[in-house]
Amino acid sequence: MRRLTMLGLAMLLALGLAGPAAAQAPIEGELALITPVSKFIHDAALKAFAAYAKERWGVTLKVSAIPAGTPVAYGRIVEWKGRPEVDIFWGGESALFEKLTDQKLLQKVEISKEAWDSIPASIGRPKPIPLKDKQGFWVGTALEPYGLVYHPKKIQRLGIPEPKEWEDLLHPKLRGEVAQCAPTRSSSSNATYEVILSMHGEDKGWDWLKKLAANTGHFTARSRDVPTVVAKGEYSAGFAVPSYMAFEEKLAGFDIKFVAPKNAFVTPEPMAILAGARNPRAARAFIEFLLTERGQRVFMERGLFPITPKYKVQGPPGSTAEMAVEFTGGVRSYFEREVSNVYDEAVAAKRSDELKKKYRSDIEATWKKP
Amino acid sequence: MSEGGVAAEAPGLARARGARVVPALGVGAIWLFLLVFLVYPLLRIFYDAFSDEAGRLTLANFAEFAGDRFYLRSLWNSILLGAGTVAAASGLGFAIAFLLVRYDFRGRSLFSYLTLIPIISPPLVGVLGFTFILGRAGTVNVLLEDWFGLARPVNFVYGLHGVLLVEALHLFPMITLNVVDALGKIDPALEEAAESVGARGWRKLRTITLPLTTPGYVAGALLVFIWTFSDFATPLVLGVHDLLAPQAYLNIVQFVDRRLFRMGIVISALMVALAVVFLVAARQYVAIKDYSSLTYSRIARRRLGPLGQAGAIAFLSLVLLLSFIPYLGVFLASVGKGWSLTPFPVRYTLQYFERVIVETPKYVVNSFLYAGLAVLLCIVVGVPIAWILARTRVPGRDTLDGLNTLILAVPGTAIGIAYVRAFHVPIPGFERGLTSLWIILPLVLAIRRLPYTVRGSYASLLLVHRSMEEAAASVGASGPRSFRDVTLPLIWRGVLVGSLFSFMTSLQEASAVLFLSLGGWETITVGIFSFYIAGSANEAAALGVILIVVAAVSVAVINRVAGARMGGMFG
Repeated sequence: MRRLTMLGLAMLLALGLAGPAAAQAPIEGELALITPVSKFIHDAALKAFAAYAKERWGVTLKVSAIPAGTPVAYGRIVEWKGRPEVDIFWGGESALFEKLTDQKLLQKVEISKEAWDSIPASIGRPKPIPLKDKQGFWVGTALEPYGLVYHPKKIQRLGIPEPKEWEDLLHPKLRGEVAQCAPTRSSSSNATYEVILSMHGEDKGWDWLKKLAANTGHFTARSRDVPTVVAKGEYSAGFAVPSYMAFEEKLAGFDIKFVAPKNAFVTPEPMAILAGARNPRAARAFIEFLLTERGQRVFMERGLFPITPKYKVQGPPGSTAEMAVEFTGGVRSYFEREVSNVYDEAVAAKRSDELKKKYRSDIEATWKKP
Repeated sequence: MSEGGVAAEAPGLARARGARVVPALGVGAIWLFLLVFLVYPLLRIFYDAFSDEAGRLTLANFAEFAGDRFYLRSLWNSILLGAGTVAAASGLGFAIAFLLVRYDFRGRSLFSYLTLIPIISPPLVGVLGFTFILGRAGTVNVLLEDWFGLARPVNFVYGLHGVLLVEALHLFPMITLNVVDALGKIDPALEEAAESVGARGWRKLRTITLPLTTPGYVAGALLVFIWTFSDFATPLVLGVHDLLAPQAYLNIVQFVDRRLFRMGIVISALMVALAVVFLVAARQYVAIKDYSSLTYSRIARRRLGPLGQAGAIAFLSLVLLLSFIPYLGVFLASVGKGWSLTPFPVRYTLQYFERVIVETPKYVVNSFLYAGLAVLLCIVVGVPIAWILARTRVPGRDTLDGLNTLILAVPGTAIGIAYVRAFHVPIPGFERGLTSLWIILPLVLAIRRLPYTVRGSYASLLLVHRSMEEAAASVGASGPRSFRDVTLPLIWRGVLVGSLFSFMTSLQEASAVLFLSLGGWETITVGIFSFYIAGSANEAAALGVILIVVAAVSVAVINRVAGARMGGMFG
């Protein structure tokens, strides 16, 4: 009932404040997200924004989030059919955002030109990774590589060198010691499968992935579980893990290491406002806030990298920002270095269904626990 | 009956008419409730399973299932796992029930409480607890590696065998409860008669005792089977995906591929259909074997000798030790920080409890609110149903009974999906569907847990002989009055026990609620899932500990009030 009155209020406000003036007007009193970006990040971002809204407009903002894997989030948005329960979709593959745009389930983000222009159009070579949508339906928020993780003590016990490249996960002594999530359930896994296929070509790529499956001891239900089982020591190494998820385990007190091998995919963590969102102005203000230095700092202190060349991850010695830099191998900004990328969005979109089908028939249906 | 209470005040003719109209309205309301919140959603998923994206009726979905070797393997594995779990749980459950009912030994009543506790193992964190102790990096393996230099960890839990172990140790109390209940109803004269013609020991057990416990046992076994059959969290944590429930779950939660999504619904519908088949088969089987009396007999317990006592206590302690593994694991995880590759955590903290209780009290508050409302609904709907079943000949009684039992058989995942599919349509005159209102959570909980309230009340009503109510009527008491003065005082225990059971199991419900929960509505179990999914197993464990404590207290109260009679609820 209360939500209904809020809806009524929001509609009245929207009617009264329609037009360009809306951008200056104070924001609505609520903001809700659906996101695969883990609680560790989205809670912090929402809290920081709520504090900012209080200072800036004196608005007491009620924030909430539905945590959901990328496919789930996408599916719920489609099921809501333009009457969404939340305002913002955040994270996952940009290809899905294109699909939502085609179904008219997104509205243009329409943030200030300054904020929009602060983000470069793309990053990476030979294939550029877009950091914002040409048509303006989504915008990147932070950069983060999908790499590999390992438990140093377990690796030491196995008597093998610490893994640095994707190839190292195929070491015979890692048989049954690797954890990964199925590409049918996780966008980081899907993107990394795509990277492997692009690196080796279809046929050799699948042979490679089958070898990885033979070394895999556990297919987790979600990508977030991969660093968890490695941190605990249940398995020695993990495949296709977003940097911040591994860093979260590090901060929780676990001994876990992260490497972004060559060609590791770097995601811009896209964000979009849903068509029919009840709090569009709060949503827009949230995005603009995340692109300010204060907003980017939320990410930089948690193992993510700035989406604009304006900022670098740094802090006083011993700060979490410095810990993050050390944890991710000394990287302070992805704009300072050569980013090699082979993931081609057009190719990925075209073979996305084929990839999942082949995974189901060639890996899931035949995999036996070693 | 409660509806009848209104009519009682009206005098004369109006009273007579009211006495007929008001109960009829009440029966109508109950039917409406069940039709809208149980029958309609289930029909909806069957419709989805038998239609394509365009809404045309088709059998193609089932043809696809039958043509997919992975799905068929999942089906076969699920049946195998269900049967295996029933066998293992039965072995434990029967042995414990016999010890508790037929023999006397030190600590018997303490054991009769403790052996119920495994049933309250909370969803998801229960199995996590197992992995913390028995996983590849669990306490046992770490000790084996440290002490014996074991090179590779022993795989105790990852795989089908692990699922079986976890489920059997979790569910055996369902068998124990039902067998204890059934043993309590066996007329000692029957066994004495057997002995008088020379049947003793195994022969007496095989020919008299076991057949008499069959109906109760079958009811328990069916629940164990269906529970295992529809549990998706345990297999997923243990890395087993080729079972029906995880397939239904995984296919549904990845909405991107509409074909897979529909297969998830098809698998859910199939699980409901199979559960119904098993249910009907079990009922048929039991119907021809029901010789039990309704009343509880006095039980003469045999005092065990010192050796027997030691054996009984050792056996029960071993079972308890194993089935308390998850609690130990969950507890350690809820206070241990950065616990990895050491037998026990090295650093301890209360930060996880602080986070889930002080920072975000919503989990606990919501859980109690929804479970409380659900129980109220259970009582308002369930007690009248029990009364209709026990005392009236209203047409459709059997269907009502069937529906009530059907609920026990419907997997939670299927109900959750059914609600999403059925209620995401705008309510007439309303902008939004029921799925946008939090009230849907207590509603789905009430439906899921209704059978316990009905069973608890029904069992007590059967024990109140009709002659007592007739006696009250003969001295001039009206129907409602005799209900209030005679029936109610005699059945309140049953209602209370049933309601507490509904309450406790509502708190623990996860599968149905997961699909329906929106931001701000999170219950303890949803919190467990979202923390776990977010990688914070420690916070999940802290919530798990809270759930365990609440449930343990509920069971203690139930145990005190109900004694041996809890089993009736699962029938």
